Amino acid sequence: MLTVLVRRVARLLVVLVGVSLVTFAILQASGDPVALMMPEAPESDRAALRQAMGFNDPLPVQFARFVGNIARGDFGQSFFHREPALPLVLARLPTTVLLTLLAMAVSLAIALPIGIVSAIRRNSVFDHTATLIVFLGTSMPVFWTGIMLILLFAVQLRVLPVSGWESWAALILPAATLATFSTPLLLRIVRSSMLEVINLDYVRTARAKGVSEWFVICRHALTNAALPLVTVAGLQFSLNLGGAVITETVFAVPGLGRLIIGAIRQLDFPIVQAGVFLIALMVVLVNFAVDMLYLYLNPQIRVR
Amino acid sequence: MKRCAPLAAVLVLALFALAAAPAPVSAQAKDTLTVALVSHAPTLDPHMHFERVGILVNINMFDSLLHRNIKLQFEPSLATSWKAISDTQWEFKIRKGVRFHNGDVMTPADVKYSFDRVIDQTKKSPQYGNIRAIKEVKVIDADTVHLITDKPFPLLLERLVFFPIVNKKHVETVGDQAFGTTSPVGTGPWKFVEWKRDQLIRLEAFDQHWRGKPAFKNLIFRAVPETATQVAEIKTGGVDIIRNVSADIVPELKTHPQAYISSTPILRVHYVMMDMRVPPFDKKAARQAANYAVDKPTVIQKLMAGLGTQVSTTVQPPAFGFDAEVKPYPFDQKKAKELLAQAGFPNGVDITLHSSSVADRPSFEAVSQMLTEVGIRTTPRMWDPGPAWNKFFQAEGKATHGAYGTWGNYSVFDADAVLHPLYHTEPGGWIGKWYARVEGLDKLIDEARSSVDQPKRKRLYAQIQQMIREEAPSIFLWTQYDTLGISKKVQYAARPDEWLWLYDAKPAAR
Repeated sequence: MLTVLVRRVARLLVVLVGVSLVTFAILQASGDPVALMMPEAPESDRAALRQAMGFNDPLPVQFARFVGNIARGDFGQSFFHREPALPLVLARLPTTVLLTLLAMAVSLAIALPIGIVSAIRRNSVFDHTATLIVFLGTSMPVFWTGIMLILLFAVQLRVLPVSGWESWAALILPAATLATFSTPLLLRIVRSSMLEVINLDYVRTARAKGVSEWFVICRHALTNAALPLVTVAGLQFSLNLGGAVITETVFAVPGLGRLIIGAIRQLDFPIVQAGVFLIALMVVLVNFAVDMLYLYLNPQIRVR
Repeated sequence: MKRCAPLAAVLVLALFALAAAPAPVSAQAKDTLTVALVSHAPTLDPHMHFERVGILVNINMFDSLLHRNIKLQFEPSLATSWKAISDTQWEFKIRKGVRFHNGDVMTPADVKYSFDRVIDQTKKSPQYGNIRAIKEVKVIDADTVHLITDKPFPLLLERLVFFPIVNKKHVETVGDQAFGTTSPVGTGPWKFVEWKRDQLIRLEAFDQHWRGKPAFKNLIFRAVPETATQVAEIKTGGVDIIRNVSADIVPELKTHPQAYISSTPILRVHYVMMDMRVPPFDKKAARQAANYAVDKPTVIQKLMAGLGTQVSTTVQPPAFGFDAEVKPYPFDQKKAKELLAQAGFPNGVDITLHSSSVADRPSFEAVSQMLTEVGIRTTPRMWDPGPAWNKFFQAEGKATHGAYGTWGNYSVFDADAVLHPLYHTEPGGWIGKWYARVEGLDKLIDEARSSVDQPKRKRLYAQIQQMIREEAPSIFLWTQYDTLGISKKVQYAARPDEWLWLYDAKPAAR
């Protein structure tokens, strides 16, 4: 068990070095940051700043310094905000994580029961109806879903605020919008992996022992069906972290995606780098958590 | 049931979410005015950005030496009077007893400091170019300041309408960064409470403001990037003012029980900048043909809800120097075809036009179609309004055969503010250096900008307008309106300079 853990942590570090290499390469490929910082300055001034900032050193030296700075949490000053980049990015993180968690919670709360029932009552009217409705959700573009939800719940029914992040009620629509997108995939995974295990011998044995049906489903079938679900849920979570930008825009949520997209438009590299690095870090951590869940769910992996 | 791990995980996630959620706030109060902006500026420091969304917030927190009223007349603000002592020297009398939000009294030293921190190039203020003509600021006595320019600078008063005066002692104590983020201090009607980036800026009425207290106690600027969301917010009372209401939304808000529309002509002029370096637009006849080809009144009626005014050149009617004697090109397809043949294209010509103005896409496509109808077969190309476009169009001048664009003069009501960037060919200029080639125009623009003799400048601008009307370096289209959507609980009117001067906003009588 401990060796597995150590191995996973080591792999995590390797991935982080890779991410920093890619982020560094983005900076190098994007042109001359000095020209951006001093657009109207004469070339002699630019050369001086380039020298002062170390842009004339060999690339490996610059990379080593870049990694060193990251290790100290220093991503440089945002060109646009004229403040250190990392705190600006970190300030947005809780908002996006909260939105993503809520959306995942809603997705799972819908996908699990409906997926299980669909698997048990395979090809029933319930199965088909559930599939149809949920797939309508994923077929709609996110911005459209968002605006339709606003028109229905905020403008027509007046039960929820239109946008913002100032109240609890304001979180509901954006979370629901994100969830309509990720629910169908999870639902399909629950349904198909349940179908795979539900007719296996050990499930039949459990039933034969006289265990209650719900216990059979939850304890025996679902734990075994959960591996693919955990994988996909982890992927969806990562996807939403960086990909919630449209939802954040429609609902005026002050999240990470909006900050990074704005920074890309303004060629604000320090923000982009800090943001990309942070999201990559989150993705790595989520994958790590998924791996750990594997160990918990499937003793076979633990033994290997 | 007890070992259903995924369900347990969901519960844990939900609990985590509950713990991390923002605190609820009470519903909109009556003494609160909420404005939706598409974004926030990078800083609240009024000298360290030059963005419309930031200016709109800053003007309600900071005063400048001069104010401009809704009729576009200069009014005293922190300066009570001003006069030119010579061609290059101006005297300003500073208002006495004005207090900053932190209680300090505003002095001529603060005025000098404010200019100095923008003129100081190490601070890299984006507003440096606006006032770079100011060579020196001299404090003469307790209520007098002299501004000395390096040459006659006719735009000086225009520039001073947005040049906020900051508190020297305070800025030096807290530092530039804190001043721009957590403790901006001015003399304006509202003082700073909090800023949540990309979410809201909260201000509170300043009791000791020299004009008297503003009507609304709380002023909130929310960042709402999506237009459809802004419209939904105004319909439900979530915000009180939205900007740039598009033509297709106007009829809906006009008849809405909660909202109304306030609209006024502004400086923003629409044009197609023609590339005069290469055929077909290196020929005057081809450029005139393009001007005759566009049916401006129809576009204004059908695509802009009537909220536009056709123009004769790019000089806008409210700008100083506008000459009403110069008449717009009429819509005349026959004449356009004749001129195109004269230019050497009897069978028409294929061109490409570019644009990055998403909001004006319908007009851009209509203009392209109208050009095609007379034989200037146009392929319209839309660009993402980001770095690639700026590089292509502005930094490298590659937008052949032309580009649809709009220009708002940065709210400077003077012909120079549109003529110089569009048509002057000096290397440090904006796009004129790439696309415009009008013989003798540079000299006239230079002459008009280096004199403070207003009648003389007016004559020069009249001459320039006749010249560019004839030479047609652009397709001259129309000026647009600024259109606000306003909640019925608020009394306010759109301004020709697109400012949101919310001191003029009042609660509507019920």
